[in-house]
Amino acid sequence: MTLHKHWKGIALFLLPALILYGAFFIYPLGFVFSLSFTKWNGISPPQFRGLKNFVDLALDSTFRLSVRNNFIWALSLGFLQIFLAALVAMILTRRPTGWRVLRTIYFLPNVISQVAIAMLWMAIYNAEHGVLNQILTSIGLEQWTHNWLGEIETALSAIIAQQVLYIGYFMIIILAGTMAIPVSFYEAAEIDGANVWQQEIHITLPMVRGILITAMTLAMAYGMRHFEATFLMTAGGPANSTSVMGLMLYNKMGHLDYGHANAVGAVLIILGGVVIVSIRALLGQRQAAAEVRQ
Amino acid sequence: MRKTTSPAVDAVAKTGKWLVLIFFLIITFIPLLWLVISSFKTDLELISRPFHLPEVWQIQNYVRAFKLSDLHLLFLHSIIVSAVATGLNIFVASMASYALSRFRFGLNNVILSLILAGVLIPIIALMVPYFQLISRLGIYDSLLALILTYAAINLPISVFLIHGFMGTVPKELEEAGLIDGCSFWQRYAKIVFPLSKLGVVTAGTFVFLYAWNEFIYALLLTSSVRARTLQLGIRFFKSQFRAEYTAMYAALVVTIIPSIAVYIIFHEKIIQGLSSGAVKG
Repeated sequence: MTLHKHWKGIALFLLPALILYGAFFIYPLGFVFSLSFTKWNGISPPQFRGLKNFVDLALDSTFRLSVRNNFIWALSLGFLQIFLAALVAMILTRRPTGWRVLRTIYFLPNVISQVAIAMLWMAIYNAEHGVLNQILTSIGLEQWTHNWLGEIETALSAIIAQQVLYIGYFMIIILAGTMAIPVSFYEAAEIDGANVWQQEIHITLPMVRGILITAMTLAMAYGMRHFEATFLMTAGGPANSTSVMGLMLYNKMGHLDYGHANAVGAVLIILGGVVIVSIRALLGQRQAAAEVRQ
Repeated sequence: MRKTTSPAVDAVAKTGKWLVLIFFLIITFIPLLWLVISSFKTDLELISRPFHLPEVWQIQNYVRAFKLSDLHLLFLHSIIVSAVATGLNIFVASMASYALSRFRFGLNNVILSLILAGVLIPIIALMVPYFQLISRLGIYDSLLALILTYAAINLPISVFLIHGFMGTVPKELEEAGLIDGCSFWQRYAKIVFPLSKLGVVTAGTFVFLYAWNEFIYALLLTSSVRARTLQLGIRFFKSQFRAEYTAMYAALVVTIIPSIAVYIIFHEKIIQGLSSGAVKG
């Protein structure tokens, strides 16, 4: 279509999106990075202090613990959750009885708010009348009961387990790939005498490699940005053992320490980028990040 | 690889398969079912017989829930925020998608890539600038703050979904409109937008669910009950309900119902939307 006649329309149609995008993506990014080099309480003008905020963070044991926890999150989601999601996707691809219903139910927790899910799991993990402890006690495993979210040894694993087991989102993504593999491939393998395991390993896995890497990248990116469930279930405790970068950012902000808060934000953005880029490089797959979602 | 399939391997695979499926069914569904059933019990029943059905289904827990918290007000706020944010997001994203997918002007790919790259940014890292931006606009502690934020945060995903659909609308239809004297706006509103309905509905579902469930920025950008949404309200349930756990569970069920309703109606769209992202990726 002829452009010169339409340029006004095009510009007008793009303007609202560009304004919103500029205000909520580009400006904030510049803001985080530029103010991460300052001391600032949000009221008096910011004072430049070079890399000092970053040095402070590097020396802060809680921050180092938070970074470590974010990496534990990233690895748990990227490997454990993707493994489980792929396993279930492979099973559902063979269309067992009720597979459509199961697919719908497995995804269900993903449409429910983190706040409600967190309340539910706090009821499950509760030390005194928590569902998990009651089940353990009733089957005679009383020595296995814990104050799941209150003990340093179990708190981080408890929150991670709760998130890892909700495989719905990645199961759907992987399922889109496995369902697209022609059934004739499996039929041919069947005739050659390949059993189910061999079929999955030699046909399914290579065929969905790209999607698996995408899912893994996404999951690890989520691990680096994890915040909500931890904030709601333990607020970083006990003794900061479950703290993550997002939580530190929030706490620094609460103390009007905007300089350090933005420094944490800058590290979070950079480390998130590093994780995405390095997993792509490691697994030799260059793909648009278009499918990455918040 | 010529091997005979051993019946033992297949039997193990079959049992294992069902164990996995049932395990995840329990994890994803039973806690929710437990929550719903618990919301109809007495507080005594909840503690003494946590895994039984209630003797009498206590509907009044739901009445208590509305009495003890500002549930109706929170509900209204959440509906307004989610509906308006979705509308605004779809309006802005679809106009941009129209301009980007129907015309070639050299900057198409630059602008599209820029917008889509937004999904790489961890939104929680932007807490300080969002707080500053909303404060400076003078809309801190208002529903408008949340509406703008949610509409903006979801621009990348909506443009991604809608742009793809708009690209597939045949050029001839638009050219016919042009001959009939349709303006730029009319060709968007009457021809291309309606024909991209599938992408629009999918994007709208994602934005609505996001806005309904969002918590962090509701916490950060509001302070009083006049802009409080359901997700934030849940945080106050613990103090409002004190030891009345069953009424609190009833309130929780009320907050979950709209998400589940949207999911029941649109689950095919959600699954399609996620799948199309994966395949294109």
